[in-house]
Formats: sequence, structure tokens, C-alpha cells
Amino acid sequence: MDPITFSIIRHRLYRVVEEAVITLKHVSGSAITNEGHDLMVSLYEADGTLLLGGVGFLHHLTSAAEACKSIIRRFEGDVHEGDLFLLNDPFTAALHTSDIYLVSPIHYKGELIAWSACFVHVYDIGAMNPGGFAPDAQDVFSEGFSSPGLKIVDRGNLRQDVWDTILNMVRGPEMVALDLRSMIACNNVAKDRMVALVEKYGLPTFQETCKSLVAQSESRLRERLRELPDGSWQSRQYFDVKGEVYKVLLKMTKVDDELTFDFTGSSPQSKYSVNCTKWASLGGLFAPLFPLLCYDITWNEGVIRPIKVIAPEGSIVNCTKPSPVSVATVGAIQSVNNAACTTIAKMLASHDKYADQTSAVWHANHFAVFMFGKNQKGGDSIGILTETFAGAGGARTFADGVDIGGEIPNPISRMANVETVEAMFPVRYLFRRRLKDSGGGGEFRGGTGGELALIPHDAPDGGLNYVLSGKGSKFPQSEGLDGGNPGAINDYVWVHSEDSKDGHDCFSQSLSAIPGEKESISWGVFPLMGNDALYVRWNGGGGVGDSLDRIPGAVLTDVTNSLISPEAAREIYGVVITDNQVDEVKTEELRNSLRSERINKKVEQK
Amino acid sequence: MSTRQSATLIISDGFTCCAKCSASIGPAGQPWKHLTAVSVTKVSELPGSTSSTHQSVEIRHFSCPKCSALLDSETALPEDPFLDDVISN
Repeated sequence: MDPITFSIIRHRLYRVVEEAVITLKHVSGSAITNEGHDLMVSLYEADGTLLLGGVGFLHHLTSAAEACKSIIRRFEGDVHEGDLFLLNDPFTAALHTSDIYLVSPIHYKGELIAWSACFVHVYDIGAMNPGGFAPDAQDVFSEGFSSPGLKIVDRGNLRQDVWDTILNMVRGPEMVALDLRSMIACNNVAKDRMVALVEKYGLPTFQETCKSLVAQSESRLRERLRELPDGSWQSRQYFDVKGEVYKVLLKMTKVDDELTFDFTGSSPQSKYSVNCTKWASLGGLFAPLFPLLCYDITWNEGVIRPIKVIAPEGSIVNCTKPSPVSVATVGAIQSVNNAACTTIAKMLASHDKYADQTSAVWHANHFAVFMFGKNQKGGDSIGILTETFAGAGGARTFADGVDIGGEIPNPISRMANVETVEAMFPVRYLFRRRLKDSGGGGEFRGGTGGELALIPHDAPDGGLNYVLSGKGSKFPQSEGLDGGNPGAINDYVWVHSEDSKDGHDCFSQSLSAIPGEKESISWGVFPLMGNDALYVRWNGGGGVGDSLDRIPGAVLTDVTNSLISPEAAREIYGVVITDNQVDEVKTEELRNSLRSERINKKVEQK
Repeated sequence: MSTRQSATLIISDGFTCCAKCSASIGPAGQPWKHLTAVSVTKVSELPGSTSSTHQSVEIRHFSCPKCSALLDSETALPEDPFLDDVISN
């Protein structure tokens, strides 16, 4: 077809998604959506084929495709113009119950021509813990309302009985209603713009463009894979829940123009809600694959076709019903994501042309802190600390990682301002800043993570409670590349203080200065009451290359900026700093000594 | 004639070699880490660790036995095998 028309329509599709995302953000009232950007919008062909992956959390692109296909199967003969469907069952397509998909058929002159889909993490889903992440859940039935497909709007008319039933099952129904309305508005905008597009260029041209777009993506990815050498690359992720260690093991094999991701050897499914379903695993590995391997290729079904996935049933990456999965998005899904990021980076590093496109792992350990309770205005508040979206950049082969730079699976992730959080919850930040010694060491350092501390402030009930979950605080997860070290580890500390003089007047500027007993926590529901404080530190990005090859002046700059400690400068980077200057002679001596230590160790057979 | 295996390794004349000094590590197309100099550092002993850090988890550094260039690293529990990255012949 005419390449100019093709290009114009392709760009128009991107604009459709962008406008729909803006709508979603502006209508939703939840900080997790409009501050953290925990959202996604994408477009699908009439049969549910992914046509154009949008922005937001990329884990959802393939799952929402399956949601469309599932709706098509379930409602065969009953899909009409103006309908809107809801799906959030993890064993049908969704990642966890909190991430609701609303999918909308798009008709033109009575013919079904496409679908739009979006998701937000709704304010609440009626799980046993507020906010949707349910560390106490023993099965998916304890994780809130779950639907494998529900018609919520019928030919343009809201089904009030369905609407009322959903809102009757959740906390904060007015906020959940706003979330649902934001998704309805988002789909309406996408639908209107798609119809306008077809009106302008004609249905045959639109459909030909869709087919060409998918074929082009497949062709370009296969061409890229053929450029890269055949081989296999492995990666491994550990995490911890209440002292139990879990492992996600990945072997990625490339033969000609196909890639196989094999998760054989990963841990059995857990009794805790960190499991993921097969759809979630698929989403988890495509989230880094789209931006790392297909940075200049349209993200659609064409990218999916050359990829095969092996995820053993009953494992933590393909759990069986009714395993609990509510923590999956900050649990095993992210481990799949990290593991895939590493193997893809290693493969790209094997070719001169793509070596500078590689990256160590970014922000590998999300944390979910959902605060809930009575706010300073007398209402109820539930909400996540959006700092979990403010990850650390992995180092590249030519530059350091970006400090608190976001994350690969969500190119638009961000965190709320401190003042925004303090306006919504009865809390006060003692500090929030970059975390020293958190970026993984390397010739190029991983970006730093962060640290924060909160205390109750102006709370009618004396404070709040919070639900804490994630992948624990025992293992580094942001792996390095080409010899780089992993980023530092998350940690969560509950500070108890009985002395009424200490807490509310506290302006401490470090964890050690906060008065009270300090208890490390990582899973469950905890109080932030009275004179309690909550300290959170989150992981840095992985480093790239040998730390002993880092330019000594760059190490000095990091020390000066309090991004690394003098101890790390010496032990990890082999740099001796005296009187705020690099001692070049002693640095060379120390680095030679550290290199000698490496090769004089006994070779261990594994 | 050599080809790139990674930033730190090349394949030359059927062998996986150190990219810095060209020393042969082992046959190409085969696991190679067990033929390197391996040093192990406990993560809990690194600056930036916390009291929560797992006491056994370690960072393995794989270095060229001849020139000491760092070839790769990985995070592991002691009982777990080396991760193998192999370019097919």
C-alpha cells in the first residue's frame, strides 16, 4: 500500500492511544492512576489480535489481547455496538483482580472492526486487605471480586444492576466508580477517534494498514533475530516471603528467527499470593521485550509470533486455580520481567551492532505499601505509596543508570509529590531522597534507589494502617551486566515508640535518628499509629562492567554527592580518597591488589 | 578472525577467549565459567547491605585466569549452579 498513507495511519493510531491515556488520567481520581501511571491503553483488531500496544504497564498488552479474545468467545453473537465488557479474572486473562480490564468493541457502519482495551488498578476490589494486594489471602477467592467476563454497558446503556453489584462489593465505592468511569471515558475516546480515522481513510485502507502493521512488526523482529547469533542465555531471580525462598529460573534460546523462554526449574507455586498465572508470565516477559528488543518496531501481535514460552504448570510462573495471585504484579511477574530483561540484554550484548542497546536490570523489586484509614478530613483513604514506581535505572554500556529513573516495563511511570501524599493521607514525610550505596557497582554505576520515612500527622484515629507486600528484603534483584554488581536491596522498618514526646515532634533525618525500637518487616498488615514511623528503602539499578574500571574521578563525584560512601569507593571501586582528592598512586595499588585477589581464589566447580 | 560473544568475551578459532588479552578460556559453544578464576563476595558484607540481607546470598565474579579481567558476575545462593551463557558454533 501507499507508504505515506500507511505511515500517517500508524501515527494516528499512536495519537488515539495517547489521547485515550490522557482521558483515563484526567477522569480517574486515584493517585495510583493519575500520579503513578499504573494504567495501560491499547488497540486490537476485530479478532482480538494486538494491533498497537500503548504506554503504561506493558505487562498488560498480551493479557488484554487474551481478554478481548476471551470476551469474543464468551459473548459470541452477543457483541453489539456500544457494548462494554469488564474482565479481571487472573485465570482467564488478567494479572490480578485489582487490575480491571474494560474492553470495548469498535463498530463502523454496523461492522465490528476493532477493540480498545484499558486497565487501571482500581481503588479497591473487595479483597480481604484494602487496596487489592492481599498478603493474608490463602486463595484467589479471598482476593476480591473476580469476573471472567461481564457486560457492563449494553448498547450504550449502563447496566445499573451490574454497576450497583460491583460497587456493593468494594471499599470506597465512589472512588471505584470514578475509576470505572475513567475507563469508560477512555474507551469512548478511543472508539470515537478510531471511527473518525476509518471515516477519513475508508475501511479497506484501514484494514489493510492493520494487517501490514502486524506483518511489518513480525518481519522486522525476525530480521533482527537473524542478525543476532544463535545461543542460549540464562538468568535467575530469588525472592523471599516470610522466610521462604523462591526462585525464577530462565533459559532463553535463540535459533534463527525465533526465541524460546523456558522457565523450567522455577519454584513450585506458593501458598502466598506472589504467584502468577500463565497469562501474567507471558505479560511479564513481553514487558521488557517490547522496549529492549523492539524499541523501533511497533508493539503488536507480529512481535509475539516469533516467541515461545515454556512455563511449567503448578510452578510459581504458572500457578493453578485457586492459588492466590493478588501480589503477582510485585511478585513473580516482576521476577519474570527481570529475568527476561537480563537474558535479552546478554543476547544483544553478543552483537557489536546492538551492544549499546543493552541495559542492566532496572528497579527489580517493586514494593506495595497500601495505606488505609481515616484521613484528616474525616473521610476514608486507601492508596499506594507511588514511590514504588520511581525505580532506579540500570546502567547502560555507555552511561550510569538514571537515579530514581523509573522502570523499563512502564515507560511513563512516576511518583506523586510528597505534598500530594500528605494532602490525601494523615502522614508527614520526615525525608525522601536518593539512597546512598544503592546503585550496583560497575564501570557504569546503576542508578540509585531511594529512601523515605513517614509518621502519622493530624490523624483523627491517631494514625493509619498499611498493607505491605512484595518480594521481601533478602535478595538483590536488579542484576548487573558484563560483570557489574546488582543494585542494593529493599528494606522496610517499623519503628515503635512508646514515648509520647518523641514521635509527633520528630524531625529525624535518618533511620538511626528516629527514636524507638526498629523492627524489619516485609509482609502483612502493620500500624502507623501514635509515635510509630515507617522507613522504606528501595533498590538501585544494576551496574555494567568492572567496578575497578570506573573512572576514579566519577567515584569521587559520587562520594561528594553522597551517592556512594567512602567505604564503597574503597571496597567496591578500589579508589582511595584523601582530603577530597583521588590518591592516584594508592588507587592503582589498591586496584591491582583487588584484581590479584580475584584470580588467586580457588576455582569452584558448580 | 574473531567474533563477539559479550563485552568481555570473544570467540576465536573455536575457543571462547578473554576479549582483553585473547587468552583461551575454553571450547566455544560450551559452558566456560568453571574454567575461569571465581571469587565470591557475600552480599551481606557489601556497603549498602542491611541486616535483612540473606546471609548466604553471594555475588560470583568470573575473571580471566591470565590477565584478571572481569568477565561476568552473577547473584546466587551457594548451592545453585553457575548460569551458562553459550553462543552456538
